[in-house]
Amino acid sequence: MRRRDFLKALGVTATAAALEGCRRRARRLLPYVIPPEDVVPGVAAWYATVCRECPAGCGLLVKTREGRAIKVEGNPAHPVNRGRLCVRGQAALQGLYNPDRIRQPLRKRPSGGFRPLSWEDAERLLIEQLAELRRQGRADRIALITPLQTGSLDHLVQDWMEALGIPRRIIYEPFAYEALRTASRIAFGRDAIPDYRIEAARVLISFGADFLETWLSNVRFARAFVEGVRAVRDGAQVGRFIHVEPRLSLTAANADAWVPIRPGTEAFLALAMIHVILAEGRAAPSLPADEVRRLTEWVRPYDPETVAARTDVPSDRIRQLARLFVEADPGLAIGGSVAGTGSNATATLVAIHLLNYVAGYVGRTVVFGPDSHLGHVSRFSELRDLVAAMGAGQVEALLLLDVNPVFTLPRSLGFEQALAKVPFVAALASFMDETTARAHLVLPIHTPLESWGDYEPQVGVHGLLQPVMRPLFRTRAPGDILLAVARSVGEDVASKLPWPDFYTYLRERWQALHQRLAPDRDFEAFWQDVLRQGGVWETVPSEPVRLTSEVFQTKLEPLVLEGPPSESWTLLVYPSLHHFDGRGANRPWLQEIPDPVTKVVWDAWVEVHPETARRLSVAMGDVVELASPYGKIELPVYVYEGLRPDVVAVPIGQGHTQYGRYAQARGANPIELLSPRPEAISGGRVWLSVRVRLTKTGRRYPLVSTAARDRQLGRGIARVVTVEEVHPSVPERPVPDMYPKHEHPGYRWGMVIDLNACIGCNACVAACYAENNIPVVGKAEVALRREMAWIRVERYLEAVGEYPDVRFVPMLCQHCDNAPCEPVCPVYATYHNPEGLNAMVYNQCVGTRYCANNCPYKVRCFNWLDPVWPDPLHLQLNPDVTVRSKGVVEKCTFCIQRIQAAKDQAKDEGRPLRDGDVVPACAQTCPTDAIVFGDLNDPESRVARLARDPRGYHVLAELNTRPAVTYLKKFGSWGIQPFRNPAGRQIGSLADGQVGR
Amino acid sequence: MAAYGRIHADVLRTLAPPGRGYYTALALVGAVLAWALYAWSVQLARGLGVAGYRGAVQWAVYITNFVFWIGIAHSGTLISAILYLFRARWRAAISRTSEAMTVFAVLTAGLFPIIHLGRPWYFYWLIPYPNQRGLWVNFRSPLIWDVFAVGTYFMVSAVFLYVGLIPDLAALRERTAGWRRRVYQFLSLGWRGTQEEWRHYRSAYLLLAALATPLVVSVHSVVSWDFAMALVPGWHSTIFAPYFVAGAILSGLAMVLTLTIPLRRLLGLKDYITDRHLENVAKLIVVTSLIVTYAYGCEFFIAGYSGNAFEQAVFRERALGTYAPLFWLMVFCNSVVPLTLLVRQVRTHVWALWVIALLINVGMWLERFIIITGSLSFDYEPWYWADAIYRPRWVEYSIMAGGFAWFFLGFLLFVKHFPVIPMAEVKAVLGRRSDELGS
Repeated sequence: MRRRDFLKALGVTATAAALEGCRRRARRLLPYVIPPEDVVPGVAAWYATVCRECPAGCGLLVKTREGRAIKVEGNPAHPVNRGRLCVRGQAALQGLYNPDRIRQPLRKRPSGGFRPLSWEDAERLLIEQLAELRRQGRADRIALITPLQTGSLDHLVQDWMEALGIPRRIIYEPFAYEALRTASRIAFGRDAIPDYRIEAARVLISFGADFLETWLSNVRFARAFVEGVRAVRDGAQVGRFIHVEPRLSLTAANADAWVPIRPGTEAFLALAMIHVILAEGRAAPSLPADEVRRLTEWVRPYDPETVAARTDVPSDRIRQLARLFVEADPGLAIGGSVAGTGSNATATLVAIHLLNYVAGYVGRTVVFGPDSHLGHVSRFSELRDLVAAMGAGQVEALLLLDVNPVFTLPRSLGFEQALAKVPFVAALASFMDETTARAHLVLPIHTPLESWGDYEPQVGVHGLLQPVMRPLFRTRAPGDILLAVARSVGEDVASKLPWPDFYTYLRERWQALHQRLAPDRDFEAFWQDVLRQGGVWETVPSEPVRLTSEVFQTKLEPLVLEGPPSESWTLLVYPSLHHFDGRGANRPWLQEIPDPVTKVVWDAWVEVHPETARRLSVAMGDVVELASPYGKIELPVYVYEGLRPDVVAVPIGQGHTQYGRYAQARGANPIELLSPRPEAISGGRVWLSVRVRLTKTGRRYPLVSTAARDRQLGRGIARVVTVEEVHPSVPERPVPDMYPKHEHPGYRWGMVIDLNACIGCNACVAACYAENNIPVVGKAEVALRREMAWIRVERYLEAVGEYPDVRFVPMLCQHCDNAPCEPVCPVYATYHNPEGLNAMVYNQCVGTRYCANNCPYKVRCFNWLDPVWPDPLHLQLNPDVTVRSKGVVEKCTFCIQRIQAAKDQAKDEGRPLRDGDVVPACAQTCPTDAIVFGDLNDPESRVARLARDPRGYHVLAELNTRPAVTYLKKFGSWGIQPFRNPAGRQIGSLADGQVGR
Repeated sequence: MAAYGRIHADVLRTLAPPGRGYYTALALVGAVLAWALYAWSVQLARGLGVAGYRGAVQWAVYITNFVFWIGIAHSGTLISAILYLFRARWRAAISRTSEAMTVFAVLTAGLFPIIHLGRPWYFYWLIPYPNQRGLWVNFRSPLIWDVFAVGTYFMVSAVFLYVGLIPDLAALRERTAGWRRRVYQFLSLGWRGTQEEWRHYRSAYLLLAALATPLVVSVHSVVSWDFAMALVPGWHSTIFAPYFVAGAILSGLAMVLTLTIPLRRLLGLKDYITDRHLENVAKLIVVTSLIVTYAYGCEFFIAGYSGNAFEQAVFRERALGTYAPLFWLMVFCNSVVPLTLLVRQVRTHVWALWVIALLINVGMWLERFIIITGSLSFDYEPWYWADAIYRPRWVEYSIMAGGFAWFFLGFLLFVKHFPVIPMAEVKAVLGRRSDELGS
C-alpha cells in the first residue's frame, strides 16, 4: 500500500467513525421486490370506515401511506361527526399499533400464565369445547358477552347463537343509559333513547349530561352545541346553556351558568320548573287541558321554595331558569349522565322529559326516531342474572367478545369470582385486559381498523367498516372465528351458517340494504360508493309521541346512597373524556395529553373541594383512602374549586391491573367502590350509589399537572366579552420598527381561534400528536414540563363563584410577523418564510434554546432526550414529517406538509389554491370548528373575515409580536342573562396593549 | 522590599520541583475533571434531558457558569491593564496572577456555552467562516456577538499575558537547563534585554493594555446583552451592561483574593504580594459592591415604577416567592458582607478577607443563577410558570465542578512553570519612580 492510499483510508475510516457517533443509524430499508400496483410511494390512500372507540360510531377517513395507517380523520360525509373527531377517535391508531396487543392465540397454563399456540390448535380447542357441550345437550349452558354491536356482526352473533342453540347473550356497555330508555317508555310509551336536537335549542339545560365528553355522541353534540346555543349572530351569542351538576365538569365549564345542585335532586329542580311554568300559565298551548290539570296536580308539592331547600338552588334561580327555558324558542333539557345515575335516575329522567313536554319541546328538540342503538344494550339486571348463573355453576362456557367487565363492573357484583367458576372462558380480544387475563383461551382479534364490519349508531345511519391495512399480527376477525367454529362444530350448524367468511356475510347483508335503498343500481357500483363514502344514510322520520298516563304513577324518591351518613362524602364517579370506561387508558396519547379540566397527566385522582381539603388537612397530592361499604381505594387529592363541598369526584378509566404498559399501575379504579344493586325501575346500572369516608394516609403521591397557575393574573391571555363591556373596537396601533416589514407576496397563512366555540376537548392536541410525529415523554418528563405538544389547551379558572369562569385557550406557535424567536437564533435555524410561517429548520438547529426562552407564548419544545416509539407504534409515524432527534427545538409548523400537499394538488389540477384547501390537523378535527386556517392575504378568505371580527385580539399584543393567530373573545360569565346585548350594543374588543379581563 | 537579586531567587524558588502537596492537588483536580468528562459523555449520549432543566428554564447552570467565569476573567484585565494605564504601581505584584486567572477563566467560560448546546458537536456552526455548507450565522443574535466578544477577549488577554511574560521567560532561560531551557528559549523569542527591545516592549505592552481596557467593558456588556436583548421580563433591561460589568469586576476581584491569599502563603511571596495589595483590592471590592447593590435596587425600582405587570411578577417572585431564599442569600453575600470591608481591621485581616472573598464568589454565582433561571421561571405565560424551582442534577453539578477543576488545573500548571510575580516589572517598580513606568 502506498502512503497516500494509507492516508486516504485512514481519513475515510476516521471520518466515518466520527460521523457514526453523531447520527442514528437507519433501520433496515427493504425495497419492494414486486411493488403492489395500487400503492404509489409518497401518495396517501384514504379509506372510509367507522370509529369504534366508543358506541357513538363516528365516521372515519383513515390516511394510509405505503400500506400503513398514519392518521385518522373524521369522515365529512358521515352524519354523526361530519368530519370531526374527538381525542379518543384520534387515538384509535394507538389501539391499532399498540405495543401491548396480543399477537397470537394464547392458552392458559394450569399453573397460570399463558402459552402461545397456533390458530389451528386454538380454534380446535374452542370448537371441541362447544361441540362437547352441544353433544351433551348443554348448549344452553353457553353464554356470550359482547359489546354493543349493530348490523352484520350483531346478526351473525345472533344467527350463530341460534344455530348452536345458545340462548344467553349479554350486550354489555358500561355506560348503558337504561334509565333514559325506561323514562322514555314511562313518559311516552317508547323504550328508546331519543334523538336530541341540540343544534336547534336556544336554551339548553343539561341536568348533568356531559354531552361534550362522553354522553351518547359527544362529537355530534359538540358541533350541535356551537351551532345552537353557542352560535354568534350580530355580535351576540344566540343562546344560553345552563349546566346543573354537583361538579364543574368540562361540559359545565362551557356553560353560561353552572348550577351546583345537591347530588340526586335534579328531578326536584325539573319538577319545580314545571311547577313554575304551569303556575304562570306558560305551558305549551299544544298541551291538552286535562294533561295540564293532571300535571299541575302532580307537581303541586314541588313549589320552588320547598325544592330550593332540597336542591340548594335558590327559588329565584329556579323561577329564572323556568322562565328562561319556556321563553326559549325552542329550549331543550337533557339529562341522564353516567355520573348522575342514582337510585332515582329513571324518575329524574321522567321529570326532565316532562319538562321538555310541558314547554312543548318534545317533537321539536326531543325527537323519537331515529333512535340511538344504545337502547339495545342489555340491562344491568340481565347481567346480574348471568353473574348469578355463572356463580351457581350454570354456565359452562363463556365467550367474551372484546369486553372488559372485570374492570368495569363493581367488584361487589362478584363477576370475577363467578368467572372463576366457569370451566371454559374464551376471550376474543385485542388486548390483555383484566377480563382477558382470566380467560382460558385467548383469541386475538383484529382491531376495528383492520376489520370488515358495519355499525349503525342510530337508526338509518349505516356506517361501513373496512380494513385500512393488512392485519399487523396473527389476529382474526371475530366474525371469521364464529364462522370457522360454525363450520366445524356440527353439520347442522354448518348448514345454517354456510358463509366462507365474514366479508361474504357482510356483503350479503348489504345486498338487502341495497335492495331497499337503491334497487335500480348495480350492487357492485353501490358497494363501491358505500365503501368510498363510508356508509349510507337514510332519513328516518320521527314519530310523534303522547304522554302516557303511566307517567303520573311515577314515584319520585330521594336519592339513596349506601355508606355512612355522616362524616362522609357523596362519591361522584364520572367517565373520563380520554379513557371513557377505561378502554382508552392504554393509548399513550390519551395518558400524556392533560385531562381537560384538571390538566393532570398519566394518573387518577380524587377531586375534593378546598373546604373538604381543609377539613381533612390535605393538600394537592396527599394520598387519601376512600372507603365505601364495598371497598377501599387510595388516590391522591386534587383540590378543585369546581365541586360541591359535600361531594368528592373520581374519574373512571385508570387503576388497571392489566391492559399493558401504559395503563397498568396508575391510580385506582373507583368502580370498585360502587354498589352492585340495580336501579329499581329501569334495572339499570347505578353509578351515584355510595358515600365514602376519606382518611388521610400521610403518604404523598405527586400529581403532575401542566397547569402551573390556574389564574392568568390579569394578563389577558384568555379574554371574554362581558355584558358591561362597551369598549369600541380599537385597531391595533402600528408600532414603528427599525427593520423593514416582512413581505408576503403570495400567501400569508394565518389562523383564527374562536374561544366562544372552543370547548377545551383536546381533540386538536391529539390530532397534532398524530400528524406531526410528536413523541410521548412519560410522566416523569412531563413533571419537568418537558412535554412535546405543539398545541396545548390552557385552562384558566378565573373565578368559581356564582357562575364559573373557565376559559380555554388553545396555545400554539403564533407565527408572529415580528417573532422574538427569530433574531436570537445564531444559526438561522428559525426564520420567517415568505408565506408568513415561522419556519424551523431542524437540521440546522444546534440547540441553544434561545428561541424557546424568547418566545413569550412558550410554544417551543426542546428534544431533551431522543424520542422513543416502542415497536410497532413507530409504524404510525407520518412519513411527510421529520422525526426529530435529541438536541433540537421544534414547534408548530401550521402543518407545512399539508400546505405543501395542497399546493401540489392545486398545481396538478392547474389552479390556484382555494380557501379551505389547506386544513391543519388541529383545525381539521376540531369538533366545534373553533380553529379556522387560511390565507390572510385574501381579504375574502374565511380566516381573513374572521380576523376582522370585533371580538378578535392577539395574545400578548403589547409585545408587538404581531401574531398570525387571532383569538376571538369568548362570551364569558353571562350567566342567566337576556339573550341579546342590551340595546344591541356593539361588542367591542379591548384596546391594544390594554390587558383585558 | 527585597533587592533585585532576591527577586530572582524568590521567584525561581516557586518553580522548583513541587512537593507531595502539589501532586495531591493535581491528582484531585484531575480526578474531578475526569468525573466531569464522564458526566458530560453521559449527557452527550443521552441528551440534555439527563440534566435538571424544567419547564421554561431552558438556560440554567451551564449558562450561569459561563457568565460567572467571564466575570471572573474581568478583574484580571482590570488589574493588569486598566491599573497599568492608571499607573497604579502597586498592581505590579499581582498582575501576573490576575492575567493568568483571566486566561484560564475565559478558557473555562468558553466551554460552558458548548456544553449547554443541544447538539454540541455542531458548535462550529456559530463561527462565521466561508464553508461548503452554504450556511452563515445570524449577526442579529447576541450569541454570535458572544462568540466574537469571548474570542477576542481570549486572544487579547492571552497575548497580553504572553507579552508580559517575555522578559521573565528570558530571565528563566538563563537560570534553567535541559528541556526547560529550550522551551523558555523558544518562548522568550530571543529576548536579550537591550535598550531597543525594552523600548519596543514598553510601547507594545502599553498598546495591548490600551486594547484590553475597552474589552473589560465590552465583553461583559455583550454577555449581558444575551439577556438584555431578550424579551424575558427580568432580563430585558437597559441597566444590564453596566450592572454586569460591575458584577464581573466584583466577582473577579473576589476571585483574585481567593487565589492570591493562599498562593502567596504557599509560595512564600508575602514580600511581593503584600497586605497593602490585598487591602487595595478590598477597597475596590467595596466600590464595585456598592455599584452592584445600586443595580439591584434599581431593578426593583424600575419594576415597581414602570407599572409593568410582567416585570413586577418576576421581581415579586424573586424577592418574596420561590427564589426568595436564594435572593436574600445573594444580597447578603454581595451587598452586606462587602460593607464590612469599610472597617480597616477587617480588610487588613487576611483570613477575614479570604472568607469574605469566598462569600462574594458564592453570591455572584447566585446572582447569575437567579437572573437566569429566576426570570425564565416567571415570564409571560402563567401557564408555563415554574411550579417548582429548577434544581440541577448530578450531571450539572459534576460538570460545574469540572469547570472549577479545569480552571485550577490550568492555574496549578501555570504557577509551576511560569513566574507568578512579574520579575521585570517588580524590579522596575523597585528601581524607578512610578511616573517613569511604561514610558
